[in-house]
Amino acid sequence: MTLLTVSNLTKVYDKKAAVDHVSFTFQKGKCIALIGPNGAGKTTILRTLSGILTPTTGSVTFADNEKNEDIRKWIGYLPQYPVFYSWMTGKEFLVYAAKLAYTPKAEAEKRAVELLKKVGIEEAGDQHISKYSGGMKQRLGIAQATIHKPKLLLLDEPVSSLDPIGRREVLTLMEELKQEMTILFSTHILGDADEVSDELLLLHQGKIVESGTMAELRKKYQTAKIELEFQHDSIPYQAKVNAMASIESSYVDQNMLHVNAIDITQARQDILHVASAENWPLTSFSLNRASLEDMFMKVVKR
Amino acid sequence: MQEVFENINWAVIAPFIIIQGILLIVALIDWAKADRFNGPKWMWFFIIIFVNIMGPILYFIFGRSKH
Amino acid sequence: MQWITLFQKEMLENWRNKKWIWFPLVIILMAIMDPISNYYLPQIIEATGGLPEGTNIELPDYTPSEVIMMSLGQISSLGVLVIVLISMGTIAGERKSGVSELILVKPVAYRNYITAKWAALIVLVWGALFIGLLASWYYVTILYGSLAFGSLLLVVLFYGLWLTLVVTVSIFYNTLFKSVGVVGFLSVLTIMLMSLVTKIFGRFLNWSPIHLSDHIFDMLMMEQISTELIATAIITLAITIILLTGSIFIFKSKEMAN
Repeated sequence: MTLLTVSNLTKVYDKKAAVDHVSFTFQKGKCIALIGPNGAGKTTILRTLSGILTPTTGSVTFADNEKNEDIRKWIGYLPQYPVFYSWMTGKEFLVYAAKLAYTPKAEAEKRAVELLKKVGIEEAGDQHISKYSGGMKQRLGIAQATIHKPKLLLLDEPVSSLDPIGRREVLTLMEELKQEMTILFSTHILGDADEVSDELLLLHQGKIVESGTMAELRKKYQTAKIELEFQHDSIPYQAKVNAMASIESSYVDQNMLHVNAIDITQARQDILHVASAENWPLTSFSLNRASLEDMFMKVVKR
Repeated sequence: MQEVFENINWAVIAPFIIIQGILLIVALIDWAKADRFNGPKWMWFFIIIFVNIMGPILYFIFGRSKH
Repeated sequence: MQWITLFQKEMLENWRNKKWIWFPLVIILMAIMDPISNYYLPQIIEATGGLPEGTNIELPDYTPSEVIMMSLGQISSLGVLVIVLISMGTIAGERKSGVSELILVKPVAYRNYITAKWAALIVLVWGALFIGLLASWYYVTILYGSLAFGSLLLVVLFYGLWLTLVVTVSIFYNTLFKSVGVVGFLSVLTIMLMSLVTKIFGRFLNWSPIHLSDHIFDMLMMEQISTELIATAIITLAITIILLTGSIFIFKSKEMAN
């Protein structure tokens, strides 16, 4: 089921397109990662979807919005550096945010207490926000973004400013939230995207350069690399490897032989076949899985 | 000078002084509790105490920093 | 109701940052300064020995109406400045700090956001004006002579319209600019220009809001509400409504991030 359709979204600043004809659709209940280096346009896309920015051209359409209602009630948004009313307590802010989104008072209070607990700052709920640390603000930020049960949760770099423990906890929290709502989050840390997202959108210079599920992208961009390690110098084996039809090239690095394959499955078969037949003194054989970083570099260079 | 003080109707002057006193005390309480200031904290203490009438007002308007 | 939520937040904020304490006290001080100092002026001059022996000090005997007008005079200058200072950051400050980004991504109607802030300031300003003039009236009564309480209420009512306009000018610039300093500067500048233009073309601008206090003084002297006062009040109210509506439209047309 489609939740949201973005078509030809463009945002121009000072004659430069920060977001350039971006189109995609979101399926309900998915967690989508927006990946790209700083300045790729991630924040601009999130802010446009949240309604903070108006698109220069293009449109954002909610599937269920036949009556053309204010889409903000279905959206929860956490900016990269959330700023609160420092004179309010955490709980007061949550109740305020909920009431602004038309949640009745009693329900707002109940949700505020639940969410403070869920994001792990329940004991700080009655403290003034001016006393909160950066990590606590980030958690309160997630709580305020979800308090009105939005259909789409937009998180701008939700974990990049957190320490490893905080990062872990927020990622777990995102796994939980995924059950209730669609999440779109931006990150420049590819490992985080790998961990929680179902789909990836790779963004470069305002354009979506690649998209798909993790598995799809892996398959598409898997670098066909095999590493062979020998007990001694690997030079004697290079020529034999190069002679195989499935191998493109190789280079020697002392005991290691790095092989670039044309067809990775065939190459693995060929090498292992010869190696066992001739009893090569192998100490290790490894198929190098492409890291997301490699993949990203490959996509961008294309 | 003596005469002036005797002539002054304290029922008239007292409210004026009391209001100034309240302003001073409220400003000092706020000053003691606040975390962030525009400028050094102690500078604002001296402004509140020594700048006549205007001190506490200046503090309330310019002294505290929100973020 | 969303408007009530926004309004309550403003009231709570003004209570927590102690505006509800210091602002009325400051207005009281401004309102009673002249009634007290003018009453004691002869003694003060005598005590400081500022005049040579034998000089006959002739100080005018002020009427209660004149003294109330002195209080308004103080509020018109210093009071207006303080009102601009307390209102210049109400929207601009929230946009500058970034907190508006969290608030305005919620389904907040912009007219609610602006009018709730406006109303909270109006309640604060009218409250302070009322108790300030009440204090002035107290001194007038014990030091200068009687003034009907009804007249005082009329002064509050009509003069309150002028302060309402001051608040609205500030709100208007708040929706136009993100810089708190620019909002304050332009608000003061606008009020000064209004006053200047009225002084130059005063004859043709008898209904300018700047003339409100003149018409209020006439009302106290004549003991009746003139058509000029009513007309000026209506003009002031009309400009207020236009500016406030304009503010909402400007805010709607603006991107929240800029």
